[in-house]
Amino acid sequence: MSAESASGIQKGLVDLVDFIDWSGVECLNQSPVHSLPNALKQGYREDDGLHLESHADEQLLIYIPFSQVVKLHSIAIIGPEEEGPKGVKFFSNREHMGFSNVSDFPPSDTAILSEDNLKGKPLILKYVKFQNVHSLTIFIEDNQAASEITKVQKIALYGTTMETTDMKGLKKIEDH
Amino acid sequence: MVLEATMICVDNSEWMRNGDYAPNRFQAQADAVNLICGAKTQSNPENTVGVLTMAGKGVRVLVTPTSDLGKILACMHGLEVGGEMDLAAGIQVAQLALKHRQNKKQQQRIIVFAGSPIKHDKKLLEMIGRKLKKNSVALDIVDFGEEDDGKPEKLEAVLASVNSNDTSHIVRVPAGPNALSDVLINTPIFTGDGEGGSGFAAAAAAAAAGGVSGFDFGVDPNLDPELALALRVSMEEERARQEAAAKKAAEEAAKEKGGEQQPTSQDTAMTEGPSASAAEANEKKDDLMDDENALLQRALEMSMDGTTSSHDMRDTDMSEAAADDPNLQLALQLSVQEGAKEGNDMSKLLADQSFVSSILSTLPGVDPNDPSVKDLLASVQNQSEVGFVHCFELSMDLCGVEHLEFYYLVVMGKISKVVLRRRNVLL
Repeated sequence: MSAESASGIQKGLVDLVDFIDWSGVECLNQSPVHSLPNALKQGYREDDGLHLESHADEQLLIYIPFSQVVKLHSIAIIGPEEEGPKGVKFFSNREHMGFSNVSDFPPSDTAILSEDNLKGKPLILKYVKFQNVHSLTIFIEDNQAASEITKVQKIALYGTTMETTDMKGLKKIEDH
Repeated sequence: MVLEATMICVDNSEWMRNGDYAPNRFQAQADAVNLICGAKTQSNPENTVGVLTMAGKGVRVLVTPTSDLGKILACMHGLEVGGEMDLAAGIQVAQLALKHRQNKKQQQRIIVFAGSPIKHDKKLLEMIGRKLKKNSVALDIVDFGEEDDGKPEKLEAVLASVNSNDTSHIVRVPAGPNALSDVLINTPIFTGDGEGGSGFAAAAAAAAAGGVSGFDFGVDPNLDPELALALRVSMEEERARQEAAAKKAAEEAAKEKGGEQQPTSQDTAMTEGPSASAAEANEKKDDLMDDENALLQRALEMSMDGTTSSHDMRDTDMSEAAADDPNLQLALQLSVQEGAKEGNDMSKLLADQSFVSSILSTLPGVDPNDPSVKDLLASVQNQSEVGFVHCFELSMDLCGVEHLEFYYLVVMGKISKVVLRRRNVLL
């Protein structure tokens, strides 16, 4: 893969951080000190000193609503080798989930994160399931080393918006 | 003012029949519940409160989280006491009720009244606590009633597993003369997490404590903001006045008879204390002195050498003085006639040079032929009515305090004050 696709920006994809509706963002079981903005917000997520941590146990439930409907292409989850997430489930358009109903309906996509993923290689999501995303729920089930605490350094979402295609974001495909 | 949804778990088991809390445990509990509901809904109108019972036939939700206080109070009415409390089930049902709250933005909180012994083991309770923490539900425990052996430990264990960032609390209320609700009012359960108390809590605390609520002036700004504001403003005014008085005293020491004149008609704000008016007059004097500084300085020095009279005599009798001075009689007559008229007529009077000089001549310490006095008079005539007042103050300085007071007051046509001040002149 070229360096460009490793970074996730390809074929007109945009970093969807700008379209996140911050007022509705929620994270269950996060540590009060190490909270979700550390992993999600521009600037914070680049900072190696700031990360998202789980609190009571190793699971995390992250709810991200968007300000407009988007098409989600891929997600990059970066974390430490040991305490980084392993089993991750994605739910599209399910509002206000709790830990009790994660198993109630099938996820839109699941993934097991490898070491590469934790270093920055984005996960490509199932195309059909994420065409019409209003909100995304990420359920982190366990972590690499099965430790008590899960740590996440950065979560980056790549895709395109439906309403307007940002012309600045469109880039020439440099490799085929 | 945190937006919160609260579920209150009430213990209505057989243990609540006991009368060690007045009138009985259950009643005390009910009062506390009512108070909590009131406090929650008052601190934020969008807060919702729900109630469930843990004993009886089983855990039963009496009312789901609602902001309608009447509904909550009504459901507490006519509750039966009986059965055994199931703490674990109660907390779990409460959590479920909160999960289905209408406004997802509300923070979740459970308040548990644990009055009977706890039959669950610590591990189970800790697990429940952890689940609450995971779902970011805060837990407040009111430990009262039965004092079981393992009860405090178990409750502490639950609290430890739930507590994240000090949002959860436990309160132990022993049986005693104080009502359950009174003890609770001062706890974080009522006052919220370090908010410092809503108006309700503070007021209730003040009523219970019967006194100082810790606010300035003993008035709660929340209860009566206008009164608190008025008190604060008058305190500041008093302070400013006292500072001015202190300043004036310092000036007086330098200038001896700085003057304690009547408040001017223009000065409506000044109604209290001679010291205040003196300070103000002093300031006015200062303003105008800029124009005729050199002259006045000289004049003041002169008057200080000249005058001997004291401030002390203020309230004196007019009649004997009147007979002495024909000029005074004339002045008085004029005042009587022109009592209704304002400055314009006075200006004519003053324009009458002879009248003015005759008055001046009666005042000891003033030489009408003094160039400074003449200058002053000339300036007086040219100025407007407003200027008159000031000029008179100046001329008062020139000639000595008491004389000038009299002079000034004659001009303004107020008889009663003429009476008082006249005497000083003679002295």
